[in-house]
Amino acid sequence: MSALRRFLRTPEAVAGAILLAALIAMALSASLLFPGDPQAIAGPALLPSFQDWSLPLGTDRLGRDVLAELFHGARTSLAVGIAAAAAALVVGAVVGTLAGFAGGLVDEVLMRITDAFQTVPSFLLALAFVSVVGPSLGIVVIAIALGTWTGPARVARAEVLSIRERDYVAGARVIGMHPLAIAFREVLPNALPPVLAMSSVIVAAAILTEAALSFLGLGDPNRVTWGGMIAEGRAVLRTAPFLSIVPGIALVLTVLGVYLAGEGLVETTAVRRGLS
Amino acid sequence: MSLLAVSNLTKRYRRGDNTIAAVDDVSFHIEPGETLALAGPSGSGKSTIARVVLRLIEPDDGRIEFEGDDFLALRSAALRARRARLQMVFQDPLAAFNPRATVARVLDDPLRIHGIASRSERPRRIAALLERVGLTADLAPRAIHEISGGQRQRVAIARAIATKPSLIVLDEAVSALDVSVRGEILELLLDLQRQEKIAYLFISHDLGVIRSIAHRVILLDAGRVAENGDARTVIDAPQSAIGKALVAAAPRLNRTLMRLASAGLD
Repeated sequence: MSALRRFLRTPEAVAGAILLAALIAMALSASLLFPGDPQAIAGPALLPSFQDWSLPLGTDRLGRDVLAELFHGARTSLAVGIAAAAAALVVGAVVGTLAGFAGGLVDEVLMRITDAFQTVPSFLLALAFVSVVGPSLGIVVIAIALGTWTGPARVARAEVLSIRERDYVAGARVIGMHPLAIAFREVLPNALPPVLAMSSVIVAAAILTEAALSFLGLGDPNRVTWGGMIAEGRAVLRTAPFLSIVPGIALVLTVLGVYLAGEGLVETTAVRRGLS
Repeated sequence: MSLLAVSNLTKRYRRGDNTIAAVDDVSFHIEPGETLALAGPSGSGKSTIARVVLRLIEPDDGRIEFEGDDFLALRSAALRARRARLQMVFQDPLAAFNPRATVARVLDDPLRIHGIASRSERPRRIAALLERVGLTADLAPRAIHEISGGQRQRVAIARAIATKPSLIVLDEAVSALDVSVRGEILELLLDLQRQEKIAYLFISHDLGVIRSIAHRVILLDAGRVAENGDARTVIDAPQSAIGKALVAAAPRLNRTLMRLASAGLD
């Protein structure tokens, strides 16, 4: 539990954790506080913020409750961000570990595939994938993961290359451990810290990519997303700027929170690594 | 029949255009329950021989017979199973364990992999192993980095004997330990050998330690066998140039250390 104490001693980490906790609270309470369809009309169109306390943040062009949309949008952002980052990290770590540990032809093939994915800009890849397969939440997650797993794969491979020469890996071979068990039980966990260090950046990037896809109208049409809200507000940017500003601020705070909390987590694991 | 018979072992490394023979046509054998020491200066091929014997690296040429079988012919599952009989203790006991491991997990692995004890039986086996190497069973839940260097090396020995091997390769196993702990570990090794009839391939540059623990010694120089014979005979009266150099260097070092100690600079 000393890791938790160290985490709490870093002010940026605490700020990040609070932002992240607020976001998670928003996402979890969305259907409790705003049980109806957030895309249903709730009042007059383009009601400014802080005018009517039943609609604190006002309404958009179609008279939808902005606060309800914001809460439901937190859900999408968080779900997509975390799911895409988790998929990218898992695939990246596994591919990188296999490539680094097996070496030879396996390494060569896996790394050339990684190269191929890396040469295509990840946003373009996501855009193309969603345009072809069609927008739904799962597809958006896969599309984002498709462009981001290469980073973790490279970092994991580099780390594994140095770890596999260590004595304890030789020790695991001497006691007769299966190579796959060595790769995933002995090597991978020790290669993870620098890979996980990327997770905050990846989650933040995934949330932004999701917002960008929604902004371009390639998000899941049945869900409220912050990117979609910004796109919606763009048409009335001069008369009702809050429609773009409110989800924009939410997006900034979310990315900042994820980033700060991730950095704090890296700091604490870095200290643990220094010990070992 | 020898427990381990190594013949004409050769391992070359390519560096740029020229190849360097780290081990060059080395042959030796170890009898059951015997200690054979490999000594020589740095780069003489001691550790390469250890790693080749353990199949951690593959030799370019030569033959290794272990317990009567062609050890180099064993592949994947058969090799992994046979590894139970041939164990190793590393020089740096901290580097030899997964930094995330606990003492219990380190000892649990060989018991599980070789199906020596059932899951419910293993905690008792682990406690027995710890006691066998002079540690207490309450050390089991501790992390590897939390225990002392001497305790760690005892855990390494416990792991090596967990699978009841007939041969243990000790690669500079006491070199990183301070003098008092070194004596205790050597005692433990001798005791294990007496009781379990384990043979040791003892790799060291310390002729004093070799003289006290080994039956026979092989002196290596640049990957070749320079001298070979009874440990005391060879160390007391070396015939080869490298043997004379090694013996001459050892007491000089001791004298220097003693002078430093008496001057309070130890």
